Amino acid sequence: MRQEVVLALLAKEPSHGYDLRARLREALGPLGDEMNPGQVYVTLTRLERAGLVESERTTGLTDRPDRKRYALTAEGQQRVAGWLAEVSWPKPDLAEFHLKLVAAAAAGLADPLTIVDTQRRELLRRLREAQRAAMAEPDGSDAALLLEGIVLRLQADLRWLEECERNWNSRGSES
Amino acid sequence: MRDVVDAVVRANGLRKEYGKGEGTVRAVDGVDLEVVAGETVAVMGPSGCGKSTLLHLLGGLDRPSDGEVWLAGRRIDRLGEKALARMRRTAVGFVFQAFHLMDELTAVENVELSALLAGSSPRVARRRAIDLLDRVGLGDRAEFLPSALSGGQRQRVAIARALSNKPAVVLADEPTGNLDSAATLEVLRLFESLHEAGQTLLIVTHDSRIAATADRLISMRDGAFVDETRLTGGTSGQLGALAGLEG
Amino acid sequence: MGRALLVFRLASRDLRRRPVEAALLLVVILAATATLTIGLVLRQAAADPYQDTREATAGPDVVASINPPLSGGQPADRGELRAMADASGVIAHSGPYPVVGAKLAVNGHTVDVEAEGRDTATVQVDQPKIVDGSWVRDGGVVVEAALADALGVSAGDQVSLAGHSFRVVGVAVTAASVPFPEASLYIPPDVPRGSRKLPPPPEDLGLVWLTEPDVRSVAGQTDSLSYVMNLKLADPSAASSFVAAYAPADPPPGAQPSEPPVGTIATWQQIRDNASLLVRNEQRALVTGGWLLGLLAVASIAVLVGGRMADQTRRVGLLKAVGGTPGLVAAVLLAEYVVVAVVAAGVGLVVGWLAAPLLTDPSAGLIGSTGTPPLSLATVGIVTAVAVGVAVLATFVPAVRAARTSTVLALADAARLPRRTAWLIAISARLPAPLLLALRVAGRRPRRMILSIASVAVAVSGIVAALAANAELGASNFATSPELDTMRTQRLGHVLVLICVMLIVLAAVNAIVSTWASVLDARYASALARALGLTPQQVSSGLAMAQVLPALVGAILGLPAGLALIAAADPDSTTYPPLWQLLAVVPVTVVAVAALTTIPARIGARRSVAEILQSEHA
Repeated sequence: MRQEVVLALLAKEPSHGYDLRARLREALGPLGDEMNPGQVYVTLTRLERAGLVESERTTGLTDRPDRKRYALTAEGQQRVAGWLAEVSWPKPDLAEFHLKLVAAAAAGLADPLTIVDTQRRELLRRLREAQRAAMAEPDGSDAALLLEGIVLRLQADLRWLEECERNWNSRGSES
Repeated sequence: MRDVVDAVVRANGLRKEYGKGEGTVRAVDGVDLEVVAGETVAVMGPSGCGKSTLLHLLGGLDRPSDGEVWLAGRRIDRLGEKALARMRRTAVGFVFQAFHLMDELTAVENVELSALLAGSSPRVARRRAIDLLDRVGLGDRAEFLPSALSGGQRQRVAIARALSNKPAVVLADEPTGNLDSAATLEVLRLFESLHEAGQTLLIVTHDSRIAATADRLISMRDGAFVDETRLTGGTSGQLGALAGLEG
Repeated sequence: MGRALLVFRLASRDLRRRPVEAALLLVVILAATATLTIGLVLRQAAADPYQDTREATAGPDVVASINPPLSGGQPADRGELRAMADASGVIAHSGPYPVVGAKLAVNGHTVDVEAEGRDTATVQVDQPKIVDGSWVRDGGVVVEAALADALGVSAGDQVSLAGHSFRVVGVAVTAASVPFPEASLYIPPDVPRGSRKLPPPPEDLGLVWLTEPDVRSVAGQTDSLSYVMNLKLADPSAASSFVAAYAPADPPPGAQPSEPPVGTIATWQQIRDNASLLVRNEQRALVTGGWLLGLLAVASIAVLVGGRMADQTRRVGLLKAVGGTPGLVAAVLLAEYVVVAVVAAGVGLVVGWLAAPLLTDPSAGLIGSTGTPPLSLATVGIVTAVAVGVAVLATFVPAVRAARTSTVLALADAARLPRRTAWLIAISARLPAPLLLALRVAGRRPRRMILSIASVAVAVSGIVAALAANAELGASNFATSPELDTMRTQRLGHVLVLICVMLIVLAAVNAIVSTWASVLDARYASALARALGLTPQQVSSGLAMAQVLPALVGAILGLPAGLALIAAADPDSTTYPPLWQLLAVVPVTVVAVAALTTIPARIGARRSVAEILQSEHA
């Protein structure tokens, strides 16, 4: 997860680390549980070092990080604005799998169809899981929306795998 | 070793051919299948692979060229039209891709049609229809015509109709084929709730979302089964990775 | 010009695409036009031959006769006739000629005839025209042409008249008397002296001519002779006013005269009307039949057209999408049916014209009746107008509707949505499954249901009217010589049978077409019903019931409609068909419709469910 996410979360108001974590958990739903709890704090420290956030001790007694309240610096605000305006999209990662099939076929190491089938089965299981999670969330919630996105991407990937299967199948029957 | 008695749907060596000689097309080519009570089984495959034909054979809408079909403990592939019709009244409920509701009947009239044709009294049929519509979440739209309902709602009415005669198995042919993703979700939820209530479902689809709800997923190609996957299993706790969150 | 050509091309191509339907349409309109043509031609045929005969034989304007008084002992008073000849307005006369009633026997038949005594000289008024042989001479008899035709005699045969043997020397036609079997003068045969009443006129009465001496010898006593005179007036059209001065008050029709008339007097118009009476009844039956068939044709076509209009919708959409105006679209649709109608009119005219003489040779006793008159412009015009009118009427509403639908909807082939009749749906829920299906199938297309009801009602009303006419025939049939079928009853009977057959055939075609259209339309509903668990037998009986129920309603409606038709066509007729026949019509119709619709219904119920559900949608 990119640092800019945490920066953006701070844009609403200066917050404590644990506030940010709570908000993240809410937005991510069940996925939030999978997150490393310390991740946020690590990121905040890095951001402070980079001069994008500043911290202040709340009327506090100790020096422990989770009592600090963080706020955006002017630079940090600029960075957030720039990030919001970005249109880059997460990179797809198809090349690896594709090359896996090609290499296996060329070297005779394994049947590409078997690889595809195994991958398909795995993706189907994940699809089932994501779907179930999506249906468990209330309609229209942020979490439901995120899970729907996962489901749709998995669907798209599965469709590609079907194409792969068809393709490698016909190649096999030709040769 | 599955107890044969438990199998709601069974097929042995099922074959369906069209045409003769050189031009013979094998729509279904040697299929063996068993579905036990309470299971949801999905049959997936590209279009033209014969899955719809298979469903028609299992539901008695068509007769196989070869092989046996057992439905709710009865062998149906050799039955006459009359007996098949009677069987369809009690053992099977159909859900189609095109919904196939009567446009001039309201939702409740569509649902009660099944019961009326099976010989129930009008009052009993009407009451059951209302109950079923409530069950699928359309109790407040009972008097609506299909033209006033969305695609997902229409399919839900069709599902209610399929449940009308308490069938042993519900056969669904591409139930979400004509639906957008929101409507698909409605239908998915309904199938899940039916599954939880113990209804046996056999779904034919090329939509992986629907297939993913099944206990068992069978892949079909060129009229034959090529693969079978068990999908039940706990969560893998790896959804975050799918979303781009590093663990 | 280009547009007209385009319309024509599109229309003809579409017709060629669906030859069966075009043929069906043709047959249906043809039945109506042919019948109408026959009726109209007959009307013509009735008028002309009498006119021709009148001119050829110098036909009289007034024919008067005088009988000897019933009290007997005195001869008939010729003076009265002579006085009539001198009356103002009379420009010529012939006679008085002696006439006696006698029995003519030949070939085993016996017929009552009037024997008129003539001399060999040609006269100015009523000189019968010889069509075979020659005019009277002693020992010879000239037979009126229609009588000769009925008896099968010609010049040279021997006949027996009042017991005397005579040789037939000729056959002739005249305009002074109505051709056999309905001579207009009634000269009673030998009436016993002192009897107070005349025997009723024989049903079949003929006319022959002898020389005057021969008549007197046949009569025996001079004072049993009657006399007849023919008059020509200065103003032929004033004949009835001339006659009014002399005629006694007419006894009410059908009643026996309380006192024997001293004589009879008739105008040429009366004779003409009676001469064509034979033809007129038939003509009336045919014209009425033609209109009924026309109505049936409208119903049939409307069903045919309505069924196919759904198919047309897509073509309409295409036409409009490429720039056709609604007017063009409607023109193309109408053009197809109008073309068929015009062709049907043409063929119907020819068929009717050829068939008219076969049906009714109006009378051998009139000149010019051996051939049929050429089709008058009026007949051609009426028949064509009826045919085109029928086509337009039946296709107008669908054509306009098709032209008005939005192009988008038409292209998407949004089929005509079935109508929802809530009360029908509610009622059908209480009925067993086949009736449920039947009511709902019928209720989806209310217009077609009404057309079915109407067509059966029209057919049944026609049959009821025909039954009444038949009953009337039967009641009045006391031919003196049963072997000698009176032409009137025989021919009218044939005409009635023909009309009934055509009505039934057309109604049957209608029923089958309607069932077929209904089965096609209900193909989706019946497939769904079978998927939900209805057996094919239940489905086929439901589909058949969907036709039988409207037919039942139509038959019941047709009974009073038929009685009303009788009253309208013949206001003074009081004969109604026997009750058992009326009551039998309804169940017979229902059974007939059920039989006709079973086959299409069964075929429709056996199609593959899966196929239909895959391809069909609502």
